[in-house]
Amino acid sequence: MTAETIQAHPAGEHDDHEAIDHGQTGMPTALLGMLLFIASEVMFFGGLFATYFNARASVPAGAWGPPEGAHELDIALAGVLTAILLASSFTMQFGVWAIRRGDTGKLRMWTGITLVLGVLFLMGQLYDYSQLGFGVADGVFGTTFYTLTGFHGAHVFGGAVGLTIILARAMRGQFSRRNHVAVEAVSMYWHFVDVVWIAVFSTIYFLR
Amino acid sequence: MTDTAIGFALLGIVILVVLGVVFAIASRGGSGASRPAPPRGVHLPSPSFLPAVMSAAIALLGAGLAFRAEDQLANPWLAIPGLLLFAITAVAWVRAANREWRDVEHGSHDEPAH
Repeated sequence: MTAETIQAHPAGEHDDHEAIDHGQTGMPTALLGMLLFIASEVMFFGGLFATYFNARASVPAGAWGPPEGAHELDIALAGVLTAILLASSFTMQFGVWAIRRGDTGKLRMWTGITLVLGVLFLMGQLYDYSQLGFGVADGVFGTTFYTLTGFHGAHVFGGAVGLTIILARAMRGQFSRRNHVAVEAVSMYWHFVDVVWIAVFSTIYFLR
Repeated sequence: MTDTAIGFALLGIVILVVLGVVFAIASRGGSGASRPAPPRGVHLPSPSFLPAVMSAAIALLGAGLAFRAEDQLANPWLAIPGLLLFAITAVAWVRAANREWRDVEHGSHDEPAH
């Protein structure tokens, strides 16, 4: 990049704000910000997983799990919730592809479906919590279980807030083929939340 | 229905209400053409004590949840001040961000070098 190019586009700015020109080098600052935020979130969840594994390693084999008298974890329900969240990643991406083509109607439809799936996941997780029969203060397993899944649920809620804003803005006609960086940013976050759930689900329900 | 189930049901309702409020607020904006675009250049937030205060509030709230009597959901002497401080800081932070946004829109910032 020449000095003239740098001066023409200070701090990576483009002439059309929030515009994405696919195929052009460089990245909008909003997307770069989201990537950095996701990187910090990876470190955050890394700490939570380290805590879980450390606690798990300090307990004898066979003794790890819900406290006595409580129900076993409902793998079937968790599996359904996993399928819902995985499906929501696909629907989100269909929305991104739609707006890249300039199809705002499809963007609204796929964003709406993704939001519904995200809310379904949250409601399913709350129902699961209500049936478990143990709380966050019931032993090391209870604490680590609720911390990991609870923080993930909070992130899904954050993603749902982002999707709600995207849906509202899409309904106001604020996105176009060239102007949709917020859609790309929220989709990145949503995929990240999905990947984290796969790690949480595998760790808690299978690596016991 | 147990108290726990009622608590989680209420949490579910709160989630739906918050999403509804967010949708209503986000729907108030204009169309793409009338929506104000951020000005050119780099804009950094002003120095603020709010992040540190909010961290202290969350720590207080967490301590209230951890250091409690057996029959208590939380220690009220720690959790309630923590929750109040968190709410006040969150509102102050949003107001400060809105104020900064308006200042930037009106051009009271350094223009980037071209």
